[in-house]
Amino acid sequence: MNVRNQAPRLTAHEAPKRPKVRYLLLHAYGRGGTIRTVMNQANSLVRAGWDVELVSALRRRKDIQFPLDPRVTVSTVVDLREGAYTPPPGVAGRWHDRRRARLLERPGKHIPAGEFGYRYFNRYVEEQLIAYLSTLRDGVLVTTRPALNFLAAQHATGGVVRVAQEHMNHGTHKRDVQQRIRETYPSFDAVAVLTEPDRQEYEQLLPGTRVVRIPNAVHSLDQVASDHHAKIAVAAGRLFPQKGFDMLIEAWSKLVETYPDWQLRIYGSGEKKAELRALIEEHHLYNHVFLMGHTDRLDDELAKASFYVLSSRFEGLPMVMIEAMSHALPVVSFDCPTGPSDVLTHGVDGLLVPPEDPDALAQAMAKLMADESLRSEMGVAAVLTAASYGPDAVHPRWEALFTELHEQRLGTAGAAKGLRV
Amino acid sequence: MKPHAEVDEVWPRDGRIRLVGRIHGRAADSADGWRLLLVLRGTDHRLRYDARVKGDRFESELPIADLAGRSDLADRDAEAGGEIEEWDIHLTDGEAELRVGRQLDDIRGKKKIMVFPEQRVSGLSVRPYYTVKDNLSLECRPESLAGEAI
Repeated sequence: MNVRNQAPRLTAHEAPKRPKVRYLLLHAYGRGGTIRTVMNQANSLVRAGWDVELVSALRRRKDIQFPLDPRVTVSTVVDLREGAYTPPPGVAGRWHDRRRARLLERPGKHIPAGEFGYRYFNRYVEEQLIAYLSTLRDGVLVTTRPALNFLAAQHATGGVVRVAQEHMNHGTHKRDVQQRIRETYPSFDAVAVLTEPDRQEYEQLLPGTRVVRIPNAVHSLDQVASDHHAKIAVAAGRLFPQKGFDMLIEAWSKLVETYPDWQLRIYGSGEKKAELRALIEEHHLYNHVFLMGHTDRLDDELAKASFYVLSSRFEGLPMVMIEAMSHALPVVSFDCPTGPSDVLTHGVDGLLVPPEDPDALAQAMAKLMADESLRSEMGVAAVLTAASYGPDAVHPRWEALFTELHEQRLGTAGAAKGLRV
Repeated sequence: MKPHAEVDEVWPRDGRIRLVGRIHGRAADSADGWRLLLVLRGTDHRLRYDARVKGDRFESELPIADLAGRSDLADRDAEAGGEIEEWDIHLTDGEAELRVGRQLDDIRGKKKIMVFPEQRVSGLSVRPYYTVKDNLSLECRPESLAGEAI
């Protein structure tokens, strides 16, 4: 590249215009971990001077639920809010309107039924997303779940650099989703996963495809530390079978008589609330285990506790656990796929126990309940572990990846057009 | 903080409701003469039960059958078609009436967080609950209305 000898173009080459980065989310207005994480990434990028847009495939709410830098632009592909859609006027308009109503009723045909978000992808949503993806010509497109990755792989083919994010571990996906992953992910410029076991698995599945491990970042490391004194254990997550709160309640029932002055506080809302409440009543734990509901101040609540419990059946990378560690909370966790064993060192910053084993979970919790100085020691170690998941440790890796992929694309695009660059 | 009876545990089971807690803001000069006092809201109807007091600890319990056994209930039910009754719980030494509640911890909005199971007796569903002011009351509803949100 003899461009380096030409002074004016040298400057242009060394400081290439940063590509615009678009994140495509299923529902940017929701409250899930993926959404929160993507907003953290967007905030960091926009503060570093990047041009960032969040694109929400669907919109069911008025407001964004997490802190988002106002410089990040937000747009929606299909707005499903009441009154958001105005049928176009005239005969053609009525035809379009009827067609839309018909397509909204039809199940999607591009998304395998095993995708956990399958129910959101009717024919209308698919059609609108495909139309949107087909318009993209430049910059970087980051798609954030398998369904969106599949659509981008096939339809965002106009020149945009494509990065597929996986927020769940591969083994969690149903067989039809795994099949589509093998078929479509090789067309991505990079596939980004959260943990080392997952990186190895994807690399084997997708020979020749670039697979990178970039963990999610916690939103801040500047947190109030627990003093490990209060007899409070904390857990958090959607009240949903994946999170295993049923097993956590069962585990608590095994130690409540030995540690009657301890409380378990479970933060989060979700469709299994009534079942979990019934389980609490069945075990007569209504004085000890509390379903706290959603809180906007989880940081404050974490700081009050003395340890964190993760009872999930599976995870991608459990971010609230790492946030808890940034408050100096040691962790008791099932060694489920994937995440806990990537983050935790057993006996140092937490205790890892065999997955889906409430007895083992109870024993490990009892060990921490019995020993305040052990909680403090492990809590200090937990802060150190959490530091490698801080925004400053993680987000530069996204910048480096996007920059590199963008430059590669400029290089090949120039070469393809026969330009001397 | 006003003197009150701070709840530690509420045990609605086996046809009884047992309360355990601490007297806060008033010295229990004598362990004798303490009673748990239930007042039917909006009336002067009262029920009293022995309370065991030791130091600042108190403990008391009541059989929920008492709440269904009021003599005027049948008449009133026939008139009103069954209505929800609420009993406010106090602890008293004969002089002061201390409201029973949970004021000293950091949990806001106990009404929806510290939720207790219902028990049924004689067509009545009885459930202890925290009021919006974090005081403890009992809600009695005819089973025809049971299951509706508080």
